Amino acid sequence: MALLAVENLSVGYHTRKGFLKSVQGVSFSLAEGESLGLVGESGCGKTTIGMSLMGLLPENAAVTGGKILFEGTDLLQLSKTEIRQVRWKKIAMIFQAAMNALNPVHRVSEQIAEAILAHHADISEEAALKQVESLFQVVGIPPDRMRDYPHQYSGGMKQRAIIAMALSCNPSLIIADEPTTALDVIVQDQILTAIKDFQKRLNICLIFISHDIAVVADVCDSIGIMFAGQLVEYGNVKDVFDTPMHPYTQTLLASYLTLDKDFVQLNSNPGKIPDLINPTAGCRFSERCALADAACSLNTPEWVEISPTHKALCSRFK
Amino acid sequence: MKDPNTVIVQLERISKTFQTRTSFLTGPPKGVVALNRVSFEILRGEIFGLVGESGSGKTTTGRLMVKLETPDSGKLWVDGNDITQIKGRNLKKFRRKVQMIFQDPYQSLNPYLSVFESVSEPLIVHNVGDSKTRKDRVRQSLHAVGLSPPDDLFYRYPHQMSGGQRQRIAIARAMVLEPEFVVADEPTSMLDASIAIHIFNILSELRKKFKVTFLFITHSLAAARYLCDRIAVIYKGEIVETGPAEDIIQNPQHPYTQALIQAHPRFRHAIKRNITRSRRT
Repeated sequence: MALLAVENLSVGYHTRKGFLKSVQGVSFSLAEGESLGLVGESGCGKTTIGMSLMGLLPENAAVTGGKILFEGTDLLQLSKTEIRQVRWKKIAMIFQAAMNALNPVHRVSEQIAEAILAHHADISEEAALKQVESLFQVVGIPPDRMRDYPHQYSGGMKQRAIIAMALSCNPSLIIADEPTTALDVIVQDQILTAIKDFQKRLNICLIFISHDIAVVADVCDSIGIMFAGQLVEYGNVKDVFDTPMHPYTQTLLASYLTLDKDFVQLNSNPGKIPDLINPTAGCRFSERCALADAACSLNTPEWVEISPTHKALCSRFK
Repeated sequence: MKDPNTVIVQLERISKTFQTRTSFLTGPPKGVVALNRVSFEILRGEIFGLVGESGSGKTTTGRLMVKLETPDSGKLWVDGNDITQIKGRNLKKFRRKVQMIFQDPYQSLNPYLSVFESVSEPLIVHNVGDSKTRKDRVRQSLHAVGLSPPDDLFYRYPHQMSGGQRQRIAIARAMVLEPEFVVADEPTSMLDASIAIHIFNILSELRKKFKVTFLFITHSLAAARYLCDRIAVIYKGEIVETGPAEDIIQNPQHPYTQALIQAHPRFRHAIKRNITRSRRT
């Protein structure tokens, strides 16, 4: 059985202009030890998915449909106290802005020990600090820096500390929301290596949220491409990268700046952000799509299975 | 000094050390060497890339060139003038020719100013034209960064715009004085990949149209390669390699440049053919 199965999840936000349908009909599943990357531009709903899994949606958000089955129970049906038993103990998160995720007035080791103590009433403070020490070893922070304050850490070290905090209660699923976005390439490479390493070693499920498609290609087994609140392509990393089917995936891949290819001038037309308050019934990418015809903007696109491990939401393949 | 007709910016053995703040708890001040005898030059009309990791001194170099910092030693010529000692009226004249685009458009624009107020502010500071010509200049500037029709945007505020639009407003604000030289400090690090490319294309259009020289500061060699004619790689306050962009990528000499190239994320699988295919369609 899959560890996590998200079925037809829809989430929206009440805004002054109306109900904004941020995530619509998203389904995916993860077996134990698997890693999934969610890729898309800002505002496509990838962070909203992460927050719904954690039960941390803001006040003005509402889940309008679907299920989040984790170890067989629907997380959306749990009460606030029940979800607290799952959060961090079973599902932990590496937050986006590592520089702001730590409390500046507490020592780093104490903050991580606090997470352990909050979830395990039977552990003494010394034992918790001992655990922190071994966690720091896993993420590669020297033990003599444990008692430092966050401001004494570099950006990369803060990110490592955040990863240690996510690992602190031995979760079976970790959601990493843009963990390397604010870091430079060298530090990014180190953090990605650390994430890949603990993920394989501790056999943890990973959902990796990023707008950087190459980073996801590097870390994940499967990948979901998101556009305007919907998954538009989903499959095994190799399948999606070898034969990208959805036009949006193709644009994403084409606009990635690499060092390997010969130099090419890229065409950039970011286009309008689709209206998510009154979304079109047709394909949401049709306005930007070079291959779209009149039917695309009228008919609701359907999933097309390309192979058992690869599918795309585009009506051109019918 | 080299011929200012070909060389717009010239750094000669520039050093800069920052003092940490002292207090009774932290003990005596420590010097942090940001730049150590840095020398290079930027040619008129080129886009010059300065690549390095966080803390390597790349932003300090950019800030020195627009006189937001003063070097401890060394010489720095911009557009034929030594700017290390520049003051008063000459400094104000200098500021008109040199502009900066900052990293984070969420913080570099005043949230209380409308687009028109933000973009026209440099013109007012430098006393350029009357209100009608100022309006025209703002319009032209917004048009040049691809924000059209500009009049629709005049009375919008930063919070009503996306990150890409905000950064374009910041670029319009830098371009409105028609500067000779612009420092762009990681202008796309807060933006998505597709929007980043859009910004790069705007910068290279501006270079062609207005013959502006750019210093492009980045931590991504791939971005520098896409945009720049020449690149300098900076590491711990020292320039380790300078040369034409393509040469540096294809044939890096310094171990640090090689490490930068190694660290750049790449696709595990052979996707080259798909990219060529999708571009054709």
